[in-house]
Amino acid sequence: MDQNRQGARASYVALAVFVALWILAPSAVRRFNREAFVEFQAPALHLLGKSRDLATFWEKKSRSVEEMAAAGRDLARVNAALEIQINKFEDIRRENVRLREITHYNVPAEYMSVVARVATRDSSSWWQRIVIRKGRNDGIRPGAPVVFGNTVVGRVTAVHLTTSEIDLVTSPGFRCTAYLEGDDQNHIVLVNGVASNSLGTAKARVSVIPRDYSIPAGQPARVFTTGMGGVFPSRLILGYLDGGTYATQVGNFKESLLVPSRDLYNLQEVSVLVPLHQNPGEALMQGDQFQ
Amino acid sequence: MGWAWLILLLATYPWLLGADLASDALASSSLIFFLSGTCLVAPCRRLKRWQAVLFAACLGFLFEARRPIPDGVLALSLVAIAIFLSSNRQLLRNTPGMLRAAAVVNVSCCLIWFLASSYGSPSPATDLAGQLFLQLLLAGIVGTIGLLPIALTQNAVLDRLSIPPAPDNP
Repeated sequence: MDQNRQGARASYVALAVFVALWILAPSAVRRFNREAFVEFQAPALHLLGKSRDLATFWEKKSRSVEEMAAAGRDLARVNAALEIQINKFEDIRRENVRLREITHYNVPAEYMSVVARVATRDSSSWWQRIVIRKGRNDGIRPGAPVVFGNTVVGRVTAVHLTTSEIDLVTSPGFRCTAYLEGDDQNHIVLVNGVASNSLGTAKARVSVIPRDYSIPAGQPARVFTTGMGGVFPSRLILGYLDGGTYATQVGNFKESLLVPSRDLYNLQEVSVLVPLHQNPGEALMQGDQFQ
Repeated sequence: MGWAWLILLLATYPWLLGADLASDALASSSLIFFLSGTCLVAPCRRLKRWQAVLFAACLGFLFEARRPIPDGVLALSLVAIAIFLSSNRQLLRNTPGMLRAAAVVNVSCCLIWFLASSYGSPSPATDLAGQLFLQLLLAGIVGTIGLLPIALTQNAVLDRLSIPPAPDNP
């Protein structure tokens, strides 16, 4: 019994020494350790995502011919509507090219789009994240914006070999500047995620709203990215203002809550917009990519 | 057998993956299906202390790997719990004792990662008591209900590896 007690005491002392060493160890050691455990789990996450895709495939394959025919008919209608839109965009593109030729202005395509499937979602009070099945091997870099269509989903926080972690718009670590719909003077407001404290849908906070701003009547006000800071392209939709605005404690500005424009927990696929050239914010994130 | 802890970890991993899947389903409610503490209880009865320590550390690091929790907080806490449990095996002699230990360990570990995350979080939060209570309640229930199937799996693996029930003095 004494031997047991002595052994336990020795183990506690060894643990205390290890804790001290762990705290003093260079961050590279801790990062390597974390990366090793992430890579250990990556194949299982891929398998999980792929088996989910397979289940969806078989579920769809088991549908009746009538159902498929109805779906095809609906799709054909949607395609017809989209074709009209494409023609409109083609006209706009032509005009854009013509104007650029006039001004001799050549804008480089700034982003490369990488489409990725969602492997798993993970959410608590302190983080709202998704893991996608593409990583460093596919050219994804930390800090890159993640979108679905023209709506912002979040930002890449950590990149591993074959997987990446994305902080959603509602995650406490997320911050960006935005414009509000209906604000003619284009005041810049700040959007940041808040720690979730309810069982309801997670939301973000919109702060620094000018006092004279009033929400357009009859529709929820949309919140757009500004394009400043070099992370998000401009005019992407972040979400909608939830209800009214309320004055802050100081009273100089107003605040409101932001409802994401998509159900972030039902996304199956997202696009990562990887900047072709590294921006300063991205370089800063590389030293901090695990937090 | 020296590698028993690693084989046991691989055998336990599907349970952790299942917990991740359940967390995925619970994502819209901001709750995590936490099982790491429960997975530690049964092995502490039979593994040697150093093996239990390595097993606990890996369990903790697996949970921390993809989450913004300060490095090593949960893993080292689980190691301390593993040392305690493997030094006090009389607490785990019967099923009620194990169930109690599973609930306590799982809830404690859940509290540790929640507080560690709040410490490391970039934005302050107010009125989180309700959410913390729900998370701890879920951890307690999951820890208690999950213990029996997990312990069955782990014991089957340890039996196959011919690991005898550990003596009181490790």
